[in-house]
Amino acid sequence: MSGTDARTPGSDLLQVSGLKVHFPIRSGIIIDRTVGHVRAVDGVDLAVPRGQTYGLVGESGCGKSTLGRAILRLEEPTAGSVVFDGTDVRSLRPEALRRLRRRMQMVFQDPLSSLDPRQSVESLLVEPLTVHGLSEQDIDEYGKDSATSHLAKAAAMLEVVGLPRSAMSRFPHEFSGGQRQRIGIARAIVLNPDLVIADEPVSALDVSVQAQVINLLEDLQSLLGLTYLVIAHDLAVVRHISDTVGVMYLGCLVEEASSDALYERPLHPYTIALMSAIPIPDPVVEDRRERILLRGDLPSPAKPPSGCRFHTRCPYRQPTRCDTEVPELREIPGLAVGRRVACHWAEEIANGTVTVAGPDLVVEPLR
Amino acid sequence: MTGSLLTKGRPRPETNREENLLEVDDLSVTFTRKGSRPVKAVDGVSFEVRPGQIVGIVGESGSGKSVSSLAIMGLLPHRGVLTSGQIRYRGTDLLAADAKTLNDLRGREIAMVFQDPMSSLNPVVPIGVQVTEVLRRHADVSRSEAKEEAEELLRRCGIPDPGRRLKEYPHQLSGGMRQRALIAIALACKPALLICDEPTTALDVTIQAQVLELLKELVNDLDTAMIMITHDLGVVAGLCDFVNVMYSGRVVESASRQELFAHPRHRYTEGLLASIPRLDSPRGEPLRPIRGTPRDVASWSQACAFAPRCDHADEACATPDLPLLVDGFGDHRMRCVHPAPLAGDVSAEPYESDQSDESEGELR
Repeated sequence: MSGTDARTPGSDLLQVSGLKVHFPIRSGIIIDRTVGHVRAVDGVDLAVPRGQTYGLVGESGCGKSTLGRAILRLEEPTAGSVVFDGTDVRSLRPEALRRLRRRMQMVFQDPLSSLDPRQSVESLLVEPLTVHGLSEQDIDEYGKDSATSHLAKAAAMLEVVGLPRSAMSRFPHEFSGGQRQRIGIARAIVLNPDLVIADEPVSALDVSVQAQVINLLEDLQSLLGLTYLVIAHDLAVVRHISDTVGVMYLGCLVEEASSDALYERPLHPYTIALMSAIPIPDPVVEDRRERILLRGDLPSPAKPPSGCRFHTRCPYRQPTRCDTEVPELREIPGLAVGRRVACHWAEEIANGTVTVAGPDLVVEPLR
Repeated sequence: MTGSLLTKGRPRPETNREENLLEVDDLSVTFTRKGSRPVKAVDGVSFEVRPGQIVGIVGESGSGKSVSSLAIMGLLPHRGVLTSGQIRYRGTDLLAADAKTLNDLRGREIAMVFQDPMSSLNPVVPIGVQVTEVLRRHADVSRSEAKEEAEELLRRCGIPDPGRRLKEYPHQLSGGMRQRALIAIALACKPALLICDEPTTALDVTIQAQVLELLKELVNDLDTAMIMITHDLGVVAGLCDFVNVMYSGRVVESASRQELFAHPRHRYTEGLLASIPRLDSPRGEPLRPIRGTPRDVASWSQACAFAPRCDHADEACATPDLPLLVDGFGDHRMRCVHPAPLAGDVSAEPYESDQSDESEGELR
């Protein structure tokens, strides 16, 4: 979806550079010592253009959720900068940050645990308005801040996300998962934010309901000119809604590309393996595909491997550089601008001179 | 595969490949509770599993797929559950069998892999004890033999350094490792039937690919039949020979996997396939979701349960107890008044049906 925004098309709404979030590992009963750090996010640079969708994919433990939370400063970053519409979010004092938060909202994965079970839908939707007040455009439409205008805005949002007016007086447990996620989305957009960070917005939902929520997110984007950062583990979902996709592995971005280019030609070995691992609901395709199986599990982010973080599991690993030199996320000459890969051998993989190392790694279709 | 796993252990009864290993016949499970209306979770489900066959059961949460599998294993609680119908395993009705018969069958003939390995492994017992337990109970082996066998099993299931892992507790293993350990336990006695209830749902995709590949290999090597319960049509497409699609407690469509994905006939199957974003489909088109939620169901005794969510529903759908009819090629059956039309280019793309010998010709 290439949403265009009248304000300043093309400019970046969000710029993240060198962002790091390290969690200390503490040990000791009497003396509390820090014995190491979990490098949940370890130097991420990314930019999200206004009105577009940036998708972050990665497996559990790669730091994608922490990154999303750190952008909103729900998690305090250790280093790096987050610039939101020209404002450095990290330098803001609490009150200024609070005021900025109306422009950046979050949709959480599990709507049942992120909505207060004792608040009615009405109270849930009006609460952000009580805290932040109506946005300027809304004051023109609904009048000055008052209980009536807040209620009118909340009711309008409820309608936008496709829930009946009667839902207002009900409680979260009375709804199905999909409806609850709609309430979560309504709560996020009730303040007319610019940026919405959606952390696994559909993964808790039934398959037949996921598409409804994905379509709703897309509709809202074109209706309200929202900018999304969508965090998910499902590459098919991310590809569907994103303009640009960033693939994360162990706290770092390993590849970034427009979502079509990424699917057509993944260049980082991890992306290649990840895409080959995703089952496609078509037996004809499934039988023909080659699957690259990765060895082992994700290494601990407390002790990331030396050099390229993926080298311990990489099917394309070369004897030199991989285990000693940290690859930079760089643009590859000859490919589209904005295509960035963090692999020493990206060019060679692209032109086919470097291939999968052991033949035992590629599993031919069994049937 | 090497030595011990194949040579040791009990001889398997000779299997006639034409004979069904498991026949589920008109299985119904109703949960009752004082003061509330009974809930019919499974409502007349029938399917067969042949030796060595991989049968998929696809459905969303609440479709009754897990309850069916628990019924097969005899793991449903005794109180408040009404079951009817028959589950015949090599001729023995499992629903009527006594506890001893079931205890002898479970783990040896029929084994199960659950969704969440953390909650199905005992957290305070080392992995090794949990693997050898099965062997000691069912196969007549000594403690040291069982330990050797367990080590071999873990190695076979792709767990590095199995000797050390045997002494470890479940929390010391990663999610993928735990699922492998669970598979090792399930396959310890080389069961003839393995039931997998969403074995990869809790895992990441790359680990899911490893585990599915492992299951495929093991099932192939041991000639074990498998029932794969999942909500992921992608998993089914790459794995199963035959697929049953469940909705609201009944099988709404069943066919070989090639047939099902090439010509989905029931509107639910069709809708499900159209609503999931595919990695290999062109981008930019909005998804076509199924409206409503799996909660909006009609009662099968009055109409098609999917009718409230179906775009093609009309008065004809209000037929009570729609039958599961043979339709299309081979064993393709579906329960729909207004099935999706067969695409025009059907004949253009020939496919090989796994069940081509089973043509029951009576086209509707």
